[in-house]
Amino acid sequence: MIRLENVTKVYEGGTVAVNDVSLDIQKGEFVFLVGASGSGKSTLIRLMLRDEPVTRGRIWVAGKDITRLPKWKIPYLRRSVGTVFQDYKLLPNKTVAENVAFALEVLGRPSSVIGPQVGQILELVGLADKAGRYPRQLSGGEQQRVSVARAFVNRPPIMLCDEPTGNLDPKTSVEIMRLLDRINRTGTTIVMATHDHAIVDAMKRRVVALENGRVVRDEVAGRYERTAEEE
Amino acid sequence: MSRIVYLIREALSSLRRNVLIVIGAVLAVFISLALAFGALVVNELLGLNIAAWQDGTHVVAFLYDEGQNNVPVGAHESLLQEVLEWDEVENARLVSKAEAWIEFQRIFENDQQMLDALRDPTVLPASIRIELQDIRFHETTRFRLEQQQQVVRQVNTAAESIEQLQNLSQVLRTLGLGLAVVLGVAAVVLIANTIQLAIYARREEVAIMKLVGASNWYIRVPFLLEGLIEGVVGAALAVFAVWVASDNLAKAGQSLELFKLDISNQWFFRWGLLVLLFGAIAGVVGSLLGLSRYLRDADGTGPDIPKGF
Ligand SMILES: Nc1ncnc2c1ncn2[C@@H]1O[C@H](COP(=O)(O)OP(=O)(O)O)[C@@H](O)[C@H]1O
Ligand SMILES: [Mg+2]
Repeated sequence: MIRLENVTKVYEGGTVAVNDVSLDIQKGEFVFLVGASGSGKSTLIRLMLRDEPVTRGRIWVAGKDITRLPKWKIPYLRRSVGTVFQDYKLLPNKTVAENVAFALEVLGRPSSVIGPQVGQILELVGLADKAGRYPRQLSGGEQQRVSVARAFVNRPPIMLCDEPTGNLDPKTSVEIMRLLDRINRTGTTIVMATHDHAIVDAMKRRVVALENGRVVRDEVAGRYERTAEEE
Repeated sequence: MSRIVYLIREALSSLRRNVLIVIGAVLAVFISLALAFGALVVNELLGLNIAAWQDGTHVVAFLYDEGQNNVPVGAHESLLQEVLEWDEVENARLVSKAEAWIEFQRIFENDQQMLDALRDPTVLPASIRIELQDIRFHETTRFRLEQQQQVVRQVNTAAESIEQLQNLSQVLRTLGLGLAVVLGVAAVVLIANTIQLAIYARREEVAIMKLVGASNWYIRVPFLLEGLIEGVVGAALAVFAVWVASDNLAKAGQSLELFKLDISNQWFFRWGLLVLLFGAIAGVVGSLLGLSRYLRDADGTGPDIPKGF
């Protein structure tokens, strides 16, 4: 579903944020990107969204080489990839329902389809009763649920999450993880950058560890810390 | 359909949120287009007045009396016939001494002093009043008349002042056009600035929209509409203001018979539409300029996602 081949990203100014990374992520996988702050997790996610161009290497997303994607096709890539960020990225002047509907409006869906679909997804994330509220009238956990709803409302095959629990307390974090797990079980591939040990250890999914932009570990059903030494 | 409603709603809400900036842009467009349009109106007025002064008498030749100074009887009439043959002459007529007296009495109808002063009506000379085909020939005509020293006492012509006005009008026309161009460019730049500010104020929103997969055009259209509205409103205000000003001028000028100050509504309609069209174009071009900076970066994907996550 996602394939990286010798990907390197050097920012202007010379920071090597991602260094010769190769990765193969299968359809339906749930992959944690772990590593200290500055290890290159966010950069990797941005590259997969073509929010930044790669310096070297190739990235395929859903069968397409996105490093060669013409600019005007970038919106189409974004529509097949749902995104969730630490800071929610909701539009402040739109209500919960409007924020979620926006992802469908962008696709040009008729409003007769948008209404029911938004209702359904808000039901799924447990916010049906807060559809008319504005983001500022919600708690952090609720805002993140809106963000997850928006990312998933058009059923993208892939979801990229960058520290989605970074601003949330443990209990709320668990709620979000439960939601992502449910989405993953529908067959959606999920890549999630995090430095939350408890979550990674509890989920027992594939773990890709980064250090200074390099992959230093890649384990199926891994833990946040190196497990090889414990065994 | 819902798309259009959405886009218009976006444009209006952006206008509402940036009231001060928007007022600035509208005022800028208003001032520049009002001045430009004003220049056009002044120019039109000059044109009208020159046209009005151009009909009628351009050259007057005052004649010596017949029977005196060796002027034979019938010399006036034969000069008139000769003048009528000249190519540049559209029309000419003879005003006899008697007619001159009648004219004098009419002109100074309310001025007893003048009437009293002129005790002897026979001192008023006869004259030939000439209308030229083209005012530029007045020098030729004057020269030809002055050759007739025996009959022609003096040649007066209004053509020179008319020609000066024509030249002035030409200068004003060029200046007005230059002014209109400069001010038009200023309007475009100011709208570009406004749109840039509006986008800057909404840069996070724009980034989010792009993340969700909105195309550049989807993001652009509300800003284009915003610029269009600013341009058209500014232009409409300008047309209205200039129209009101010129209408008042025309009313005030009604007593001044010398000048023609009323411009036809048709003219206003035609040029007003053009100014509106220009405002609309300025709005759209300004927005495109304002947008281009923000929607283009190294990767062509628009503003970065705000850092810090
Ligand atoms: N836009 C940028 N320009 C320059 N350097 C950047 C930029 N974004 C991130 N970096 C640098 O790249 C490295 C990796 O950052 P990042 O991918 O954000 O790591 P993480 O998400 O794991 O904390 C860091 O050294 C960071 O300072
Ligand atoms: Mg990060």
